[in-house]
Amino acid sequence: MSAYYRNNGYEEEPDYPDYSRSQNHTQGNWKTRDYPDSLGPLNNSDYSKSRRNPYSEDSRRNPDYPRSLAEPDYPGSLSHPDYSGTRNSPYSVGSRRNPDYPRPLAEPDYRGSRSNSDYPGTRSNPYSAGSRSSDYPTSLAERDYLGSWSNPYHPDSFKEPDYPESQRNPGSRSSGNSAGSRTNPDYLGSLGEPDYPGAQGNSNYPGPRAHSNHPGSSRNQEYAGSRIKPHIDTLGKPDYPGTEDQPYSPNFLGKPDYSGAEDYRNSPDFWGEPDYPNAEDGCDYGSSKTPETTREVLSRTSSIQPSFHHGAVGPLGLPVRENEDYHESIEMKSVEMANPYGHSGHGYVNPTYVAESNLHPSYGNPPSGDDWYKSPQEQKLIASLIPMASRERIKAIRNQPRTMEEKRNLRKLVDKEKSKQSRHIFELSCCTHCVNSISLAYRRSKNILSELLSSISLWQKTFKVIGGKFGTSVLSYFNFLRWLLKFNIFSFIVTFSFIIIPQFTVAGRNTLQFTGLEFFTGAGYFSDTVMYYGFYTNSTIQHGSGGASYDMQLAYIFTIAACLIICFFSLLFSMARYFRNNFINPHIYSRGITKLVFCWDFTITHERAVKLKQKNLSTELRENLSEIRQENVRLTLNQQLTRLSIHLAAWVVSTGVATTCCVAVYYLAVNNSEFLQSHRNPGSVLLLPFVVSCINLAVPRFYSMFSLVEHYEIPRQEVYVLLIRNIVLKISIIGILCYYWLSIVALAGEECWETLIGQDIYRLLLMDFVFSLADSFLGEFLRRIIGMQFITSLGLQEFDIARNVLELIYAQTLVWIGTFFCPLLPFIQMITLFIMFYVKNISLMMNFQPPSKAWRASQMMTFFIFLLFFPSFTGVLCTLATTIWRLKPSADCGPFRGLPFFIHSIYSWIDTLSKRPGYLWVVWIYRNLIGSVHFFFILTLIVLIITYLYWQITEGRKIMIRLLHEQIINEGKDKMFLIEKLTKLQDTEKRANPSSFTLERSDVEEPDPLHVREYEGARELRFRRSVQENNPNA
Amino acid sequence: MGNKQTVFTHEQLEAYQDCTFFTRKEIMRLFYRYQDLAPQLVPLDYTSYPDVKVPYELISSMPELKDNPFRQRIAQVFSEDGDGHMTLDNFLDMFSVMSEMAPRDLKAYYAFKIYDFNNDDYICMWDLEQTVTKLTRGELSSEEVTLVCEKVLDEADGDHDGRLSLEDFQNMILRAPDFLSTFHIRI
Repeated sequence: MSAYYRNNGYEEEPDYPDYSRSQNHTQGNWKTRDYPDSLGPLNNSDYSKSRRNPYSEDSRRNPDYPRSLAEPDYPGSLSHPDYSGTRNSPYSVGSRRNPDYPRPLAEPDYRGSRSNSDYPGTRSNPYSAGSRSSDYPTSLAERDYLGSWSNPYHPDSFKEPDYPESQRNPGSRSSGNSAGSRTNPDYLGSLGEPDYPGAQGNSNYPGPRAHSNHPGSSRNQEYAGSRIKPHIDTLGKPDYPGTEDQPYSPNFLGKPDYSGAEDYRNSPDFWGEPDYPNAEDGCDYGSSKTPETTREVLSRTSSIQPSFHHGAVGPLGLPVRENEDYHESIEMKSVEMANPYGHSGHGYVNPTYVAESNLHPSYGNPPSGDDWYKSPQEQKLIASLIPMASRERIKAIRNQPRTMEEKRNLRKLVDKEKSKQSRHIFELSCCTHCVNSISLAYRRSKNILSELLSSISLWQKTFKVIGGKFGTSVLSYFNFLRWLLKFNIFSFIVTFSFIIIPQFTVAGRNTLQFTGLEFFTGAGYFSDTVMYYGFYTNSTIQHGSGGASYDMQLAYIFTIAACLIICFFSLLFSMARYFRNNFINPHIYSRGITKLVFCWDFTITHERAVKLKQKNLSTELRENLSEIRQENVRLTLNQQLTRLSIHLAAWVVSTGVATTCCVAVYYLAVNNSEFLQSHRNPGSVLLLPFVVSCINLAVPRFYSMFSLVEHYEIPRQEVYVLLIRNIVLKISIIGILCYYWLSIVALAGEECWETLIGQDIYRLLLMDFVFSLADSFLGEFLRRIIGMQFITSLGLQEFDIARNVLELIYAQTLVWIGTFFCPLLPFIQMITLFIMFYVKNISLMMNFQPPSKAWRASQMMTFFIFLLFFPSFTGVLCTLATTIWRLKPSADCGPFRGLPFFIHSIYSWIDTLSKRPGYLWVVWIYRNLIGSVHFFFILTLIVLIITYLYWQITEGRKIMIRLLHEQIINEGKDKMFLIEKLTKLQDTEKRANPSSFTLERSDVEEPDPLHVREYEGARELRFRRSVQENNPNA
Repeated sequence: MGNKQTVFTHEQLEAYQDCTFFTRKEIMRLFYRYQDLAPQLVPLDYTSYPDVKVPYELISSMPELKDNPFRQRIAQVFSEDGDGHMTLDNFLDMFSVMSEMAPRDLKAYYAFKIYDFNNDDYICMWDLEQTVTKLTRGELSSEEVTLVCEKVLDEADGDHDGRLSLEDFQNMILRAPDFLSTFHIRI
């Protein structure tokens, strides 16, 4: 919808650099000149104000290129016509929009000027009209100008008394102005020849310009006479080349005019209309001239002032008038300005940048008063918000560190601007309007959807309680649990809808008897239900003769594959997200005291917990301090050796234990299967899962006893070592079981070995669940009783997050492996997780106290998810890949019966497809992409190259970050050095001449530019960072 | 759900939704929480933007803030005049920033303000001492507190000007991954 604008902005872009350059130039001049001047003669209070002003103008001007540039460029009165010409280029945008909105606003303005018919009227009216206009209750432009321009105007008020003498001049000059503005539309109309504006301007203006020159020069004299030097310098100087070198000035000004002209031509038809208001404008002024010629002296003197604005103080006066008349023009301007930004910025970069830049004033020098929107940054912000998509805009508004009211106003302003745009565009094409309303509807529906989703979010209240009592670290365990639960719910939904329901429709009668023991063994009755692989048919399901057919074989393999692939990606993405959030700068991660101080856990709300946390924190701070004190104490060689040997011994013992467990499990499994074959006792199948669960229960506790012997300096290290040992144990047990299943059970020639594996996994899961329940209810409870009653020195235990999370990971791994053999496993896991949540919650509330150490919970979460991904999920993928590609499915049961390998179902499917001409593309994709070695080879190569490149980029950025960091430090040093020097200078100066204030002032002022520079540096750094952060998003 | 129309107009709710990280339902819940704080003070009709402020004493009695050592600072930072008395807008603002969805930069900005006790836009030594004292409930001796503060300045002060600017603070926060999850008040 803003395409038109954007185009326009784009067209203007070539001119843009020119503009900005020249603008910067003059601006620089202006500023620098203003500086010393104001330093000198002006009194302090004025000075400080005017000092700030150039700044704000600066920053304002930077974005507001076309007009603002025009300002300094056309300070002279001569430039007036030209100026309005250029003004028209931004203005044109405005007037393009004129038909839409300024009408109601502009109208009153004009009317005001007409009715008053003299300049004071026009001057004051727009102001009042602006503020009165209910459409823009908070019209930023107006206030902005009031604020930032008021100081430059000071001189104007000084001028006033000067004027009456030269009343004629301003009078005619103002007429010249009006003529200028009147002729403007004229020559705009004939803008075809870009040279003409100049020539025409010459021909048109001699009169007025001569006049205007006069006031200019006269003003200068007056000025020279009066005390306002800066204005001579700042305004007079640029005036002169313009006014005096008439041949030069057209050239000089012709350039911007061109762009205007080009613009006009670019938007040919459209221009006619907006020109009219201009013409009207001119007429108004013309008419206003007539009363002037009648010389009502009283109004005259006051009328001069604004006319003077228009003329001599062109740079200041004109924009004021404009902005008064159309205070939205600021917004328009900002739209324009935003467009190039939008082009280069690409979305989200923009708001962050703006946000950053906004942060800075808001804390640096608090915006004067409560009119936050008058600062230039606000306009910039608003401007950058407008071209954004609505979602991003809301995001950007939300992320503003402002009060609600400000945000609301901002939103209102932006929306208004947007709606204006869209209304305007509506004239062009109504389909954009359609798009608009669709996007609005989409936004609404999205809101509703997110509301729905958030309403499903489980256990909100419980989480709050847990967080309030135990802090974020313990909460992370429950978060992880909930996350796994969602995972399983999703898997269950997929398998249920694509495998289980179709199978239900063709299920035969189950002839086996249900005894109840099946709940534990998973065998018997259950083996003839949808729970296990063996029950599924290999036929094509078809209801009715003409109904759609459903190939169970393909459905089975595709559903499982889809499930795993989706799991893979969601794991990958959440892992990446965690990594991005938590390991932003791992290389500068230090075990700092700072994090202890500034990372108070705001989630804790429980009184006792708060007190405990405070106590723990003080101990930790104290420990940290003592650590710092002892940091340099080196251990003796002997101590180091003993420590090393202890670690080594601990590792040897732990690996030994893990190996022993694995061997034991393997032999038990092998012997157990032989034993089972001979005995056929339904309960004896529980032996293996029981042993495995016992190992899982006992060995980790044994491991954690190592910490009594091993003394790690850093508690985090201890936790990581413990985690690694535990995960090695659990994964190797699962690995050995997988080996047993795939190489012994699958090849033993049993009928329906897949179902047997499914049953094994079911039993393992169930036993694990029972053990955790027992552990929670008995073990933890007993521990509490012991801790509270008998050995009070032990106290309450702390919740072992690592061990509990590892249990969850273990169970989840089993579920993933088992999904292929027992499609109902996600459902079972869903139920167990659900129960576990409540059990753990109750046990937590009863038996535990909050952890005493500050736990790097989020980092741990990252680590957990990584563990879930790396050994666990990848291991599962390997196991299943081996199963599907290498193993022969059992001959008499399951959907793949009779096939040499599972994967053959895909091969035969492709074969059938290749016979149908309509599906040849699938075949092609399969043969050339999925089944092709070359494709994967090339793909791997490309991925490797990209990875390498990214790696290099990261390295480069690291260096960059380091350099920037050093730069910040250096600048801080610079600043300190300068301040020191200045104070020294000041002291000597004071000693020499105690009455001097000049230096003091310069001293106050000196750090300022530095500050700005520093801010910019920091901002840039942060900006870069935010870009970096956002990059993975993009 | 049905009576929400009487509290806010549709536009108001939408504006709140756009300006905070909350859904409609959460906004209503927060409103009722707010209203519960001072039922005789807060009207049930907000369509005309009534100018109501709930005094700090009531705000700080909320269970979410009651035991927070920084409750006063939080209320001051988010209240309009820095006195801790909050309008509904301030109230929503506060919980929006403290919500899970708020981005790191926003949170860091307000955390900085909270820790900046004297509102001079820098966290200076004095601010740090206040913070540490609040954190430890006076369990550390003044010497230890000073040592901790010096250590903090030493670690986090990027430009070595003896105080923490917002940049320093944000930079430090980047290195503290837990900040996002801990600077969070559940409602």
